[in-house]
Amino acid sequence: MLYQANPQAEEAMEYFIQQLINGLTLGGLYALIALGYTMVYGVIQLINFAHGEFFAAGGYVGVILLNFFAGRGLMDTHPWLGLFGAFALTMAYCAFLAMAVEKVAYKPLRHQSRLAVLLSALGMSIFLQNALMLTQGVFDKPYPGEKFSGGLVFGDIRISVLQMMIVGLTILLLVGLNLLVFKTRIGMAMRATAQDKVMTSLVAISSNRIISLTFAIGAGLAAAAGIMFGLYYGSVRYDMGFVPGIKAFAAAVLGGIGNITGAMLGGLIIGMVEIFGAGYISGQYKDVFAFIILIAVLYFKPTGIMGENVDDTRV
Amino acid sequence: MRKKLFVALIMALMVIPFLMGTATAKTLKIGSMGPLTGPYAADGNDIKNGVLCAIDVINDQGGVPGFDKIELFPQDTACDPRQAVAAANKLINLEVVGVIGAYCSSATIPASETLAEEDIIMITPASTNEKVTDRGLPYMFRMCGRDDDQAPAAVKFMKEALGAKTIFIVDDKTTYSQGLADGVDKAAREMGITVLGRDHVNQGDKDFSAVLTMAKDKNADVLYMSLQNHATGSLMAIQAKRLGLKSTIVSEDAMFHPNFISVAKDAAEGIYVTYGYTDKTTDAYKTFEKRFTAKYGKIGAYGTYAYDAAYSLLTAIKNAGSTEPAKVKAEMMKLDYDGASKHIKFKPNGDSGSSYVAFKIDGGEYKLYWTPENGIVK
Repeated sequence: MLYQANPQAEEAMEYFIQQLINGLTLGGLYALIALGYTMVYGVIQLINFAHGEFFAAGGYVGVILLNFFAGRGLMDTHPWLGLFGAFALTMAYCAFLAMAVEKVAYKPLRHQSRLAVLLSALGMSIFLQNALMLTQGVFDKPYPGEKFSGGLVFGDIRISVLQMMIVGLTILLLVGLNLLVFKTRIGMAMRATAQDKVMTSLVAISSNRIISLTFAIGAGLAAAAGIMFGLYYGSVRYDMGFVPGIKAFAAAVLGGIGNITGAMLGGLIIGMVEIFGAGYISGQYKDVFAFIILIAVLYFKPTGIMGENVDDTRV
Repeated sequence: MRKKLFVALIMALMVIPFLMGTATAKTLKIGSMGPLTGPYAADGNDIKNGVLCAIDVINDQGGVPGFDKIELFPQDTACDPRQAVAAANKLINLEVVGVIGAYCSSATIPASETLAEEDIIMITPASTNEKVTDRGLPYMFRMCGRDDDQAPAAVKFMKEALGAKTIFIVDDKTTYSQGLADGVDKAAREMGITVLGRDHVNQGDKDFSAVLTMAKDKNADVLYMSLQNHATGSLMAIQAKRLGLKSTIVSEDAMFHPNFISVAKDAAEGIYVTYGYTDKTTDAYKTFEKRFTAKYGKIGAYGTYAYDAAYSLLTAIKNAGSTEPAKVKAEMMKLDYDGASKHIKFKPNGDSGSSYVAFKIDGGEYKLYWTPENGIVK
C-alpha cells in the first residue's frame, strides 16, 4: 500500500517538509557515528565494532552529568551552560575510554592478522555493552530534556529545539573536523599516517599517538551523538548502541569507508531513505530501505560513493 | 550355592534404592516459567513471587495431603521461544505436576506444546494471545484476559467514552501486539469507526518520527498504540507530543507499568490504557496483598494472577487427592470461588474470563476512568 498524503497540494508539501526535517535529524546522528568508523578504518584498516558502545556510553555519561547538574540547580539557572558542560565532559570521557580500549584491545594485536583485531573489537563491544547493563540496569533511563522542549511551528510543520540543535551541532562538528583534518598539522600527520605508517614514523611522527588521537576524536563525536540521541528520544538504554552502530557502519560503507565526506553523506542518505521509506511506504520496512540503497550503491560502485581504491584509503 | 547366594545378595541390594524412595519425604513439585532476566525480568519475578505466595498460603492451610512439602522450580524463559521449550523440557525431567507461566505469548505457546506431550497442566497468568487456549490443548488454562476481549473493550471505550469516529493503528509486529491490533481493526470496523490507516514499526526501533508524521497527517481521533514493551511506548509518546499529534493516544496493558510514566513523564499525561480489572477492595485481594507485600514487596502487574493460578492448581490437586492430570483437571473445572484477582471459574477451553477497563494517566498515575458496565467513572 503506497501512502497517499492528503490531496491538497499544500498539505502534501507540509508532510514532505516535516519528513525531510525528521530525516535530516536522524541522518545527522548517523553521520556523527559513521565518522568514527571511517576514521579508524582509514588509519588502521580496522572495523571498530565497539564504536557503537562509545555512543551508548556517551548517552549514559551525559544523563548522569545532566542529572548531577540538575541536582545542583545548575539546569534551572543556566540550562545551556549545563548542557554545554555535559557535552564537553562526556566527549572527553569517551575520548579517553576509546584510547584505553585501543591500548588494551587493539594495540597488542596490531601486527597480528586483521581477523584477530576484528574479533578483539567484537569482544570489546560485548564487554562494554554488558558493563553498561550491569552498572546501569536493564531498564530505560529517562533523559532530563524538558528544559529544551518547544520549537518553531509553521502551520503543521514543527521543528523542535532539539532537532535544530542536532542539525546545528552536527554541522558545527563536521566543519570543525574537516578543518582539523585538512587544515592543521595534526590533520596532516593523520593523513600521512593513513597513507604510510613507516614513512611517517621516519619523519618523527609517532603513529601510536596519531592512532590514539583518531580513536579519541571518533569516540568524542559518537559521545556527542549519544547525548543528542538521549535528549531527542527521551531515554537511553544499555543496548542502544547496537542498531544505530550497524546503520552508521552501513553509512560509512555507503559513503566509501575511509573517506570523511563520504561518511557524512552516507549518514544523511541512510537517515533520509529510512524516514522517507517509512513515511511514504511503510514503517515496517524502514531498515530494508536503508540496506537496499546500500546494496544498490555497492553493486554499481563497490568502493562506495566517495570511495577510492580500497588499498589506498585516506583519512 | 555360594554363587547363587551372591547373586541374591546383589539383587537385594539393588532393591534398596526403591525402598528408600518410598521412605524419603514426598515432595509435590510444581514449576513456574517467565523471564527472570532481560527487559521483562521484573514481570517474570513477579510471577514467581505470586506462585511462592500461594504455596505459603496452602502450607498454612496444612499443605497438600500425601505430600510433606511443596517445592517450586522457577525457570527463566527470557521471553525466547527456544529457551521456553528448553525450560519446559527441564520441568518435564523434574516431573513437575503443573506449571504456572509463561509471560510472553510467544514463549507460552511453544512451551505449552512441549508440556502437552506429557499431559502437564499449564496455567498462564499473563499471556493474552487467543491461540494460547484456542488450540484445544486439554491441560492449558489461563488466568488473565484475552486479546480478543481486550480489543472490543478498547474499541467500545473509544466509541463511548471518547466519541471517536476515526482511528490510526500502530503495532510492533510481535505476536501480542499484532494480534491485538488485528482485533482492534476488526472491532472498529464492526462498530462503525473508520480505520484511517495502519502501520507497523520494528522491535528495537527508537525513531518513530516518520510513522507519527503520517498519523498526524491522517489526524484520526485516536492513535491506537499496540506495543509489546512499555519502553517503546514511552519513546512513541514523547515523539508524538513533540510532533504535536492531536489524536488521543489509547494503548493496552503493556503500558500499565510505572516505568512507562517515569520515562515518558508529561508526554504520558492524558493517555488511556485498557487493563484487566482487579477489584482491590475485596477481602480476598486485601488478604493476598497483606501476605504478598510482607514477604515479597510491591505487587507488579501479574503477581495477583500468578497467585490465583497457583492457588487454584494446588487446591485442585488437594481436592482430587491425586496428581493424575485428568483428575486434577476435573477438579479445576469444578472450582468456583472468589480469587484475589477476580471470581475464578474456568470455561471449557481453559479461559477464566476477563473484564477490561480503561485507565487514564493523570498527574503521573493510572486512574480508573471507564468500565464497560458503568461508563465513565467519576
